[in-house]
Amino acid sequence: MIEFDHVTRTYGPKTAVADLSLAIPRGELFALLGPNGAGKTTTIKMLVGLLHPTRGFVRICGHDVVADPRSAHLHVGYVPDEPCLYDKLTGREFLWFIADMFGMPRHLTRDRIDREVECFELTEFLDDLAESYSLGMKQRLVFAASLLHDPDVLVLDEPMVGLDPRSVRIVKDLLSARTSEGMTVFMSTHTLAMAEELADRVGIMVRGTLRFLGTIMELREQVALEATSLEHLYLELTRPGGSGS
Amino acid sequence: MISRAQPRSAVRLLSVEEESRHFLRLRLTLVWETLRAMLTGARLRLSLVVLLSSLFWAALYGLFVEAFSFLDSLNADVTPLLFNAFFSSLMVMLVFSMAILLYSGMYQSPEARLLLTLPVRAETIFGHKFREAMWFASWGFVLLGSPMLVAYGVVRESSWTYFALILPFMLAFVTIPAALGGIVCMALVGWLPRLRLHALSIGLTAACVLALWLAWSFMAQPQLEVMSAAWFERTFARLAVTEQKLFPSWWLSSGLLEAARTDDDGRVVSPGLIEAIKFLSLLIANALILQLAAGWLARTVYRRGYSHLAGEVPARRQRRIGWIDRLLLGNESTGRRPLRQLLVKDLRVFRRDISQWSQFLIFFGLLGLYFLNLRSFNYHTAYASMIGFLNLAVVGLILSTFTTRFVFPMISMEGRRFWILGLLPVHRDQIVWSKFLFSFIGGLIPCTMLVFLSDSMLGLGWQLVLQHEFCCLLLCLGLSGIAVGLGARMPELRESSPAKISSGFGGTLCLVISSLFIMIVVVVAALPNHLFLLARALGPTVIAPDGFLAWAGGPWGAAASLLIITTVGLAATVIPLRSGLRAFRQLEV
Repeated sequence: MIEFDHVTRTYGPKTAVADLSLAIPRGELFALLGPNGAGKTTTIKMLVGLLHPTRGFVRICGHDVVADPRSAHLHVGYVPDEPCLYDKLTGREFLWFIADMFGMPRHLTRDRIDREVECFELTEFLDDLAESYSLGMKQRLVFAASLLHDPDVLVLDEPMVGLDPRSVRIVKDLLSARTSEGMTVFMSTHTLAMAEELADRVGIMVRGTLRFLGTIMELREQVALEATSLEHLYLELTRPGGSGS
Repeated sequence: MISRAQPRSAVRLLSVEEESRHFLRLRLTLVWETLRAMLTGARLRLSLVVLLSSLFWAALYGLFVEAFSFLDSLNADVTPLLFNAFFSSLMVMLVFSMAILLYSGMYQSPEARLLLTLPVRAETIFGHKFREAMWFASWGFVLLGSPMLVAYGVVRESSWTYFALILPFMLAFVTIPAALGGIVCMALVGWLPRLRLHALSIGLTAACVLALWLAWSFMAQPQLEVMSAAWFERTFARLAVTEQKLFPSWWLSSGLLEAARTDDDGRVVSPGLIEAIKFLSLLIANALILQLAAGWLARTVYRRGYSHLAGEVPARRQRRIGWIDRLLLGNESTGRRPLRQLLVKDLRVFRRDISQWSQFLIFFGLLGLYFLNLRSFNYHTAYASMIGFLNLAVVGLILSTFTTRFVFPMISMEGRRFWILGLLPVHRDQIVWSKFLFSFIGGLIPCTMLVFLSDSMLGLGWQLVLQHEFCCLLLCLGLSGIAVGLGARMPELRESSPAKISSGFGGTLCLVISSLFIMIVVVVAALPNHLFLLARALGPTVIAPDGFLAWAGGPWGAAASLLIITTVGLAATVIPLRSGLRAFRQLEV
């Protein structure tokens, strides 16, 4: 579903992502972890086509994101770290606009909007202008918009920012349910507990390099620590001169 | 072999027409919602915009009717030159403003980030942002150009076909520099990302050199009686460079001049109309082909250019303490005073925000350039005095736009950082005072210099220079008091955009009060001087020596005027500031 093929991205003399090769199959929830400046956002931006790799290829469902962006985007739902909405559109109008961009038929759009509105509990403010929304409301609406077309791949950049505990629970349940139906999720997060709870595999990126790739169990084996929490393992791995160096 | 998955049957790629239709619907919804919000929540602002635009249009129309009638009376056939100079300069400005607007809309806006992650063609996104930018860039062109063209038609008693053709001509013309601006913007970002800054610097330098050359050439010409036929001929001869047959501005000017032609009975001249339609077709054809070229460029380089730009990281620069900061902070023992620290903080923010100081520099620079040109005209004493006061009003009005746009939102802009200031052992009054001092000192230095320059160029006497400088001091005090006071009285602490804060109700009120204040000060200050000149010109037979007009034009009138403007100036400073200080002390964050 998602494939990074020897991907490198440089910013002038600085290498943000170095020779990243990674394949994520259908139905997997993959969590990308790493300290600030590790290259997580660059990786996500390359995945959704906002940044082009300096070298290598990124493919979604076999479509090259640079050479054939529209076909690749047809398979993707994207929730950015900062939700972007049109201030002068209501939530409902925004959802219709997104559905139109994916060429969804009218009757299906109506059903899907009802489904997502119910799932993310948007009814109360759906017909208000987005300029009056709080950060959490915006984030819930962006989630709903990204799932309207039932994407094969869902890309999430720090998805829980601004969400209240109830919304976090809704998102977690939804991700589990959708991945079991075959949707692939690529998520960047600092919330280790969430990665531990949901991710099938995790990748830990440090200074542009994927320092670890595997399940939490494999991580424990590799780091060989008495500590059991992902937090301890993560800190050990990302520490300068730590086990992962 | 890579296998490509087919999308789920519910989704599909849209055709160009479908994409355009959806974006058009989006645009219409956004425009409608914006209008509705303005009609319900910002009626004052909307009414002011409509009223001031109408007044501006009417004033320009009147001015152009007078100007064209005057030119007719001189028998000086300079209208083609005037049209060419006017439209070619607007064309250059439109190319630049479109390039800048599209740069921010296509490469810097969160909307572009959203649209680029949707299955939409790059050229459709460009088209969507292009129409938006074209609206912003060209409404000023229509507001400036239409009164001139209508006035020309009225003076020449042209037929209805001329008036009917004005709008199509303007729309076709505007599209050409707009598309050129888009091409320049995308080409620079997409192909020459590293040359962007150099290109901008070269463009700006060239524009400055051209402006200076024009200014110098006007100043260097022998002094002639202003508005004489010789003066017109000499002045317009310098603009002949704009009469290039390959310029769209020439096609527009020639087409409109042909359309305006009538025979002695006031009927349309058929060959003229046919020529006009030919020129219109030429404009439309070029507009369409340039739009096609811009669309092709968007398809080729937009996504790549966006990626280039998004991948750029700002260079880390070490910022040292500037000499002006050291001067303001003083020595170690006094350097810890909070008021000075706050002042230095605001100065640093101003220096490092290019949008603030560049606008400051451009507007005051242009004004300085205009004042430098004043010497090349021979003025009658009454004219010179009147122009001196008008220049004072212009300086005040420009300062008021800055105080409204940048000073009024300053307190609101502290909103998100209020916890920093709120937790410091700083009295809230000091925050307000620091903004006031920043605005007052920042405005006083360039304004007094400009007023002095204007008066020197006009050759005014020292009494008038002193009076103007005193008025300037009062204007700086009052405008700072109004902007800071109202800003503290009506802060919008949740808003992060200074543009939105200044264009809200508080900002509009600030601009209106500031304009009224400037008008009162300048009119009251100018009145005794002009009554004195009037009394001298008309003599005692018309103006009775013991009447009110003679009194007002005498020393007592001057003293009364001084007293009034001082009172108004101090009131405009103290009343809003006191109100702002009181409100800010009680503000709960």
